[in-house]
Amino acid sequence: MRFSSFDELLRYYAKNTPQAPALQFETAGKLQTLDYAALYETIQSRSAVLKRSGHTCLGLFCDGSFACVVELFAAVSAGLQVVLLNENATAQQLQLTDVDTLWGDDDLTQPLLSACTGSAPNGAGQLLFFTSGTTAKTKAVALTEKSLCASAYNGGALLPLAPQDRLLCMLPIDHVFGFVCGLLWGLSCGACVALGRGPRHYFDDCAFFRPTALSAVPLLLGFLLQKNLLSDSLRLILIGAGDCPTQIPAALQAMGIRVSFGYGLTETSSGVALSLGSDPYAMTVCPDDTITLAEDGEILIHCPSCMMQGYYKDAEATTAVLQNGVLHTGDLGSFDAQGLLHIIGRKKEILVLRDGTKIFLPEYERDLAAALAGKDFAVIEENGTITLVLRGDNSERDAVQRAIEPVMQTQPFGRRIKQIRFVNQPLPRTATGKIKRWVLQQKVVTE
Amino acid sequence: MTRQEILEQTLEIVHECVPETEGQELKESSVINTDTAIDSMGFTLIICRLEATFNVKIPDRQWQKLYTLGDVVDAIEKRLK
Repeated sequence: MRFSSFDELLRYYAKNTPQAPALQFETAGKLQTLDYAALYETIQSRSAVLKRSGHTCLGLFCDGSFACVVELFAAVSAGLQVVLLNENATAQQLQLTDVDTLWGDDDLTQPLLSACTGSAPNGAGQLLFFTSGTTAKTKAVALTEKSLCASAYNGGALLPLAPQDRLLCMLPIDHVFGFVCGLLWGLSCGACVALGRGPRHYFDDCAFFRPTALSAVPLLLGFLLQKNLLSDSLRLILIGAGDCPTQIPAALQAMGIRVSFGYGLTETSSGVALSLGSDPYAMTVCPDDTITLAEDGEILIHCPSCMMQGYYKDAEATTAVLQNGVLHTGDLGSFDAQGLLHIIGRKKEILVLRDGTKIFLPEYERDLAAALAGKDFAVIEENGTITLVLRGDNSERDAVQRAIEPVMQTQPFGRRIKQIRFVNQPLPRTATGKIKRWVLQQKVVTE
Repeated sequence: MTRQEILEQTLEIVHECVPETEGQELKESSVINTDTAIDSMGFTLIICRLEATFNVKIPDRQWQKLYTLGDVVDAIEKRLK
């Protein structure tokens, strides 16, 4: 079904399949199930309170709990703009996005209350997702409930879930992949969504909820596979948000699980292409979307129903990537003889790790430059890990380690340098001094 | 429980959870990312196992601040007092 708002979606299932399970979650060790009728009523009731509050823009710390999901849908339904935040949210982000009230644990909200001075009277139905990683210039992608519903419809049209399916949502919902493919995909198909209990329960969530479908990033999936933590109830796994080693889909397929890869961006409200056949890397373009390739192979996306409104209050950045309704992704792709899309690399200077983390390299390297004054260095990805490559020799390892330590301590775990490699020649650069990352990557990998 | 005992048990759990660390010389000053074979999923597993072993709870939001194995031992020691 195609819906144009969260309210319409939830009302439809509350009316047509009121007793069908909508959400499952844990409370005090017990599995709770809420049907569509009760979920809709709960959201309506909370929405009425939020409408009376006079607030215009809610900053929501997305802990993935049942209360968090209700607050999100209720706030949008009440006409508030909703900004999806993680625990590292800053006052600068709140001010940029006009947040005037916060939802979340006190230890997260209290230190930021003084930054809630904005007002977003025209932001009804708008949800703002921060692009991962960037700190120097924070960008919030403005999506609408309509574009997010359209994206969920696109996914469901190619990969439908049945009402008896249970989709396990283990990903953070402040990322668009987690929100659309972990939550909205299931609800838009009238299926049940099981709300994962966070990192502490990565090990037993599958056994606890016994899902039939799961959306995951490659790093998490590789771990669940390695530790044999996937339940035998699973029949479909959607992988997205990062490059995936071929062993993972092969192992899943050997277990009889259907594997699909998704390609999309926050700017397109999540997926625009999904793999449907036996080759998980060959993707079919979603019904609402058109993908073409620029002369240099850059993937260009035209998807009016799912496209972002723009970067919030940043017309310049929006124009740089969105021209005449076409998004210039910075990703490189190709079409095979069957017209299926393959992702072959990245044109822009971004690393996308296997847990979905994005690293804007120029900014990351700028932070390191002060610590590594005078050094010829660059950051690349090698086998899914962040690798610092320097001109020098191994005797400098401890000194380099000490030099970068203060910078690394300011970074979350997944964004820290994992490997240091030394090369004995100058790093390959263009005439203008930019690192030739592809060349460097090839050189390091083959050495 | 002494700090040394906490460290020894921590290293045992590290080796058990991430077998790739076997044979690596790990000490308090070892930086979790660059000196060990531990990735973020392995780290999550280690913390959960440590919490169960020592019967302590290290809040999720503190996990990101643990940089060396010594920091992990600090976090446990603080909560055992």
